[in-house]
Amino acid sequence: MARSTRVLPGFGPTLGLTLTWLSLIVLLPLASVFLKASNLSLSEFWNVVSAPRVVASYKLSFGMSLSAAAINAVFGLMLAWCLVRYRFPGKRLVDALIDLPFALPTAVAGIALTALYAKNGWIGQWLEPLGIQVAFKPLGVLVALVFIGLPFVVRTVQPVLEDLDVEHEEAAASLGAGRGQTFRYVLLPVLLPALLTGFTLAFARAVGEYGSVIFIAGNIPMISEITPLMIITKLEQYDYVGATAVAEVMLLISFALLLLINGLQAWTARRTGRDR
Amino acid sequence: MSIQVRNIFKRFGAFTALDDVTLDFPTGELVALLGPSGCGKTTLLRIIAGLEKADAGQVLLEGDDASDKRVRERQVGFVFQHYALFRHMTVFDNVAFGLRMKPRKQRHAEQEIRKRVQRLLELVQLDWLAGRFPSQLSGGQRQRIALARALAVEPRVLLLDEPFGALDAKVRKELRRWLRQLHDELHITSIFVTHDQEEALEVADRVVLMHKGRIEQIGTPEEVYRQPGTPFVYSFLGAVNLFHGRVDGEGVRVGGDLLPGSAQAGGPAEGARVMAFARPYELDIVVSEEPGDGMAAKVSRALSFGVTTRIELEGLEGQHYEVELTRERAEALGLTVGQAVRLVPSNLRIFEYEEGAGI
Repeated sequence: MARSTRVLPGFGPTLGLTLTWLSLIVLLPLASVFLKASNLSLSEFWNVVSAPRVVASYKLSFGMSLSAAAINAVFGLMLAWCLVRYRFPGKRLVDALIDLPFALPTAVAGIALTALYAKNGWIGQWLEPLGIQVAFKPLGVLVALVFIGLPFVVRTVQPVLEDLDVEHEEAAASLGAGRGQTFRYVLLPVLLPALLTGFTLAFARAVGEYGSVIFIAGNIPMISEITPLMIITKLEQYDYVGATAVAEVMLLISFALLLLINGLQAWTARRTGRDR
Repeated sequence: MSIQVRNIFKRFGAFTALDDVTLDFPTGELVALLGPSGCGKTTLLRIIAGLEKADAGQVLLEGDDASDKRVRERQVGFVFQHYALFRHMTVFDNVAFGLRMKPRKQRHAEQEIRKRVQRLLELVQLDWLAGRFPSQLSGGQRQRIALARALAVEPRVLLLDEPFGALDAKVRKELRRWLRQLHDELHITSIFVTHDQEEALEVADRVVLMHKGRIEQIGTPEEVYRQPGTPFVYSFLGAVNLFHGRVDGEGVRVGGDLLPGSAQAGGPAEGARVMAFARPYELDIVVSEEPGDGMAAKVSRALSFGVTTRIELEGLEGQHYEVELTRERAEALGLTVGQAVRLVPSNLRIFEYEEGAGI
């Protein structure tokens, strides 16, 4: 191989350090999960992870996390657009507010949301007559997950948008493109990788979320129990092995989904000539 | 297509970008909007394109009022200073963009689009770059692709906003010549904005000089250079020597010195405060310390390369003067640095004094 001519050398040391660090911080704890779960025989393991109540919780957790991330992708993009493209009074305040869900202890968020959406809450009392119940229903889970995932899309899309000149849109318009076409063919392809990153982060955060959800979800078996709650429940019953088995399944599904989204991102980047 | 703008006004907050601008752009001409930055030239171009809305006034395209038409309906090709190529598309897709965005009924078949794009890429001599992305091209190549992209939709007018502003001097010269050739081939009505007087004079059929949101002068490059209509135009186009003084007979008195001139009747009155201009080649140097005709000055530098010799001088009050002499004349004078001489204009243009005339 030709000698490297990079300004900053050190592929060997950095890769070594990266792998060691990753092993210590991420892989080791995860491996212990798998190790613990391996105390179960295969059929025992299957019985634990395929119990109807657990399966219902997978559906709720992943379904709601994906939906919440999708909602955040749409509204996060709009928020980022508004913050980058327009000037309005209180813009800095709005910009700072966006990070609040990061800073708030999740339990506080959960209690606040529950108070709002309960039957007698500020919002809940108006939704109740319409037949919409949020608190103590799966919908409540969604609301909580949207809340905690909000900053991710905004913060990933914002720098890309700032980088994107209005001239591109003007060029598209002068070439005869309509507003929809300009968005679809000029803006979206450039924003998509950042949007996917934000989506992934929001999704990952939502899958792991516990604190804010358990307050608003009501935790009704088969209806509004999330998987992290199932794990905690098993731990509280001293069923450590069962807890790790469920955790293992959750890990695998999450990992598969993240891998899929990353693949999608690489594909869009390649298609738009960014990795050359 | 002919373009007319009628009484255009435009303000940005307290800043007046365009102040009652009325202009005609005849069909098929290549016109340069020339002026210093902030003179309103880009704003005028953007208003013609429909990218900006005038506060008052009309834009007529081929006689029709286009003031309320949106950009996409005006059929104008716009070329941006920083190219504005779509970075996620190949060169080919960039050029094809306008053709592919047409409503389904008017859209050509993909095969026809391919043919047209190919032809455009050949026109800008870059067909071998079709599969590349903009980031892989040089600045000059990007601007040519941007031009091909604008031409793809067969615009009725071509508008170029400082098209060579971001390029280095050599590429700029090349592209200028190339743009002129392209215009001679296509004869599409074109307006380009520039702050580079050399570029405007070299490329355009007609030059519109703008200053502080107003039009100072319109004319062929030859006209605006030979007969500048205002002090601003005089000082903006090429090197110039400026003398502040008062009218004295046919000449101008500057302090104790009298510059011989040919003040016309109807010009500034006797004793009026004036500004007088002479180009470097319109001044001669006389070796004499006697007070008499001409402006006293001291030689500070002589540069002789090329056919002429450029001599820089300093006036008694620190003014800077520049004189261009033939090499023979300079050698005959045998000037030395620090020598006291007198400047005698062979041609002097006299304008009434104006506060802040842009000099």
